[in-house]
Amino acid sequence: MNQPLAGFAPAPVTARMENHGNHMLKVAMQTGNDLLARVGSMVAYEGFVQYEPNPPAVRQIARDWMTGEGAPLMKCSGDGLLYLADYGANVVVINLNGDAISVNATNLLAFDAHLTWGVERVKGLAKFAGQGLWNTKISGQGWVALTSRGKPIVVDCGGGEDETYVDPDALVAWSPNLKVKGKRSFKAQSLIGRGSGEAFQMAFSGQGIVVVQPSEDSTDRLRVRG
Amino acid sequence: MAREFQRGHKAKISDLTAGTDLYVGVQITGPGLTFDISCFGLDADERLSDDRYFVFFNQPKSPEESIQLLGAQSGDTESFRVTLDRIPAQIQKLSFTATIDGAGQMSQIAPGYLRVVAGGEEVARYAFSGAEFSTERAVMLGDFYLKDVWRFAAVGQGFDGGLDALLKNFGGEVAEEEPAAPQPGAAPSFAPPAQATPAPAFGAPSAPAPAPAQGFAPPPGATPPVHTPAPPVHAAPTIVGPLHTPPGGTVPPPGPAPYAQPPGPPGPPPGYGQQPGQTAHMPPGYGQQAPSAPPGYGQPPTAPPGYGQQPQYGQIPGQAPGQYPGQPGAPSPYGAPQSAPQGGAGVAAALSAFKETPTGQRWTPQNKKLIRVDLGIGGQPVLARQGSMVLYQGKVDFSYKGAGFAGRIVGNATGQEMQLMRCTGQGQVFFAENATQVHPIELQGDAICVSAENVLAFDESLQYEVRRIEGHGIPGGALFTMQFQGTGTIVVKTHGAPVVLPVTPTTFADCNAVVAWSAAAQVIVSSQVRMRRNAYAGDTGESVNLQFRAAPGNFVVVQPYEV
Repeated sequence: MNQPLAGFAPAPVTARMENHGNHMLKVAMQTGNDLLARVGSMVAYEGFVQYEPNPPAVRQIARDWMTGEGAPLMKCSGDGLLYLADYGANVVVINLNGDAISVNATNLLAFDAHLTWGVERVKGLAKFAGQGLWNTKISGQGWVALTSRGKPIVVDCGGGEDETYVDPDALVAWSPNLKVKGKRSFKAQSLIGRGSGEAFQMAFSGQGIVVVQPSEDSTDRLRVRG
Repeated sequence: MAREFQRGHKAKISDLTAGTDLYVGVQITGPGLTFDISCFGLDADERLSDDRYFVFFNQPKSPEESIQLLGAQSGDTESFRVTLDRIPAQIQKLSFTATIDGAGQMSQIAPGYLRVVAGGEEVARYAFSGAEFSTERAVMLGDFYLKDVWRFAAVGQGFDGGLDALLKNFGGEVAEEEPAAPQPGAAPSFAPPAQATPAPAFGAPSAPAPAPAQGFAPPPGATPPVHTPAPPVHAAPTIVGPLHTPPGGTVPPPGPAPYAQPPGPPGPPPGYGQQPGQTAHMPPGYGQQAPSAPPGYGQPPTAPPGYGQQPQYGQIPGQAPGQYPGQPGAPSPYGAPQSAPQGGAGVAAALSAFKETPTGQRWTPQNKKLIRVDLGIGGQPVLARQGSMVLYQGKVDFSYKGAGFAGRIVGNATGQEMQLMRCTGQGQVFFAENATQVHPIELQGDAICVSAENVLAFDESLQYEVRRIEGHGIPGGALFTMQFQGTGTIVVKTHGAPVVLPVTPTTFADCNAVVAWSAAAQVIVSSQVRMRRNAYAGDTGESVNLQFRAAPGNFVVVQPYEV
């Protein structure tokens, strides 16, 4: 009956987090191994999964995140399969395995609750108005899922003399050991970036990677919906 | 979609076709002339160091049969089969030559060609005629040469003396340089020149061939390239994992289920923490491999039940089999990852699928939605839509592109003015906008019109002018288009995979969805006045279509998105 749809059945679980297609995340939930996910990102689940929006511990860590209104994370616990998505954005699954990554707040979809994480203001960027220059640094042994509007690109900063400059609206994640600084417009007349006309980029230098999405749409859709 | 090559043109084979099993056909004829067409397999010094790689009428194939002489067929005077991936490493270049057997000179030859056919489809054609030659008695028509990857070059270099002299040339004398690429005057080759993936996402119908019609028989299976082959955009399966239906549709037999935590897997699965050494990192309650199983989710020391065997949400016998497709056979639950890019653990491994593609060309698509320009190659500035830069490396200056242009385009259909920035300097700049697909179009002296909203970036060497298509009913009063001309690359963005339509007497496009068209096409605004217009919900009768009129061979590009 549903032959055309049969190809979309979930593949067997092989890891804690997996992609289902490019745009959906599948998490194998187990008791005792909780997950922190963006509020509103759940699209389906099966099994027994419970959700606790804005748990106290999270509120504590993420107290600075954006301007109040509660932390945009929920704690998911239980046994089963959990499917997460963010308005059709591409999902990138990372097994940290001891590494660390710094993720733009709007591009974080879910991560294992036992990971070490913290919300921090990006250093050196004093006045980024509005969205997401609160980033989340995550490290430890476990899994992280990021979102990206369009297939992302990973650029190696290379550690050379030249810095790598990124439009902050297109930035997804970077290696925490990179040095970050803001860079204002180069010339009085150059107007790069959209919005206010204030041109700034983020300059990265050092050894590490930068993940960039092919879109300057950094709207946090999960929050916009409210 | 055969790409027309002119003398001196070069291209990567991978840009022409994904295949490595190629058919090379040469048509060269002349009144009263006979030709010897041969292939020289040359080493890195362009010498014929191994005679076995001189493939000609007396030696129809190379030792491992990577180069085979096939004889005359399908209108070709001579043909070869070349299997690139079987050519031994010492052979760096294949030179296809034609020599006149007996008296005569190359100026007498009739129009001919060298063509490359892959998978029954002609992918490259270099046409030549006697007018390009004079008293030569041999000509080096084209080369396959290995420079990082196999490339094809249309050489067309005449050579005095016959086959013997040619042999001597390759054997002992200094090999001549290839002529530098002249300014081409080729037909619009709409294929992205630097596509990293072999599949052009944006094929256009090939324009009329400049060579005179010769009435050759097309290669077997080839069709006249009136319509583009479906872009393989749609070929990629949407789903990652294949559907494993349980054999016979039976209820899954007991076995380790995907969710199970086997107490002692023979090889600890990578990554996800069941290794005893990692339990230290886990919060209490997780991953305890204690012999006394904690209550709850299955970790008994004996047979590992798991998800699927648990009574609370297991496979109730009435449940449809195949709903958990992989369960019956999955032997190690957290074992080898399926197809997700998780070849190893760690950030670098997880992200390796998204690595930057290597440099080497001026415009390099990184993926469908992101393009990189290397300003150091070509040395000319790039004009780009403001705000389309997502990342750059190196010393690049961005400056506002003068108001002269911007002023003219103020009052664009959406009321926004299109503003450009000039990128100069040395370095790589990545352009993208709103996750739209980007398509580099290489212009070689021809012209194309692009709707102003769909221009992402272009080489400053291109001449462009803004045109205004006025018409009653067009939102904003007019449609702004930019006509580009000259030699260089323009990057067009589309929402979704576009369609490339050949212009017929009845080709219409929505003025909001049209992206680009060949400049030879004439645009007519046709207001849609229909008897049944009210049948469309929301149609106010204001909709305006653009009609295109042109000679065959022109095309229109339309995106599946109405801005």
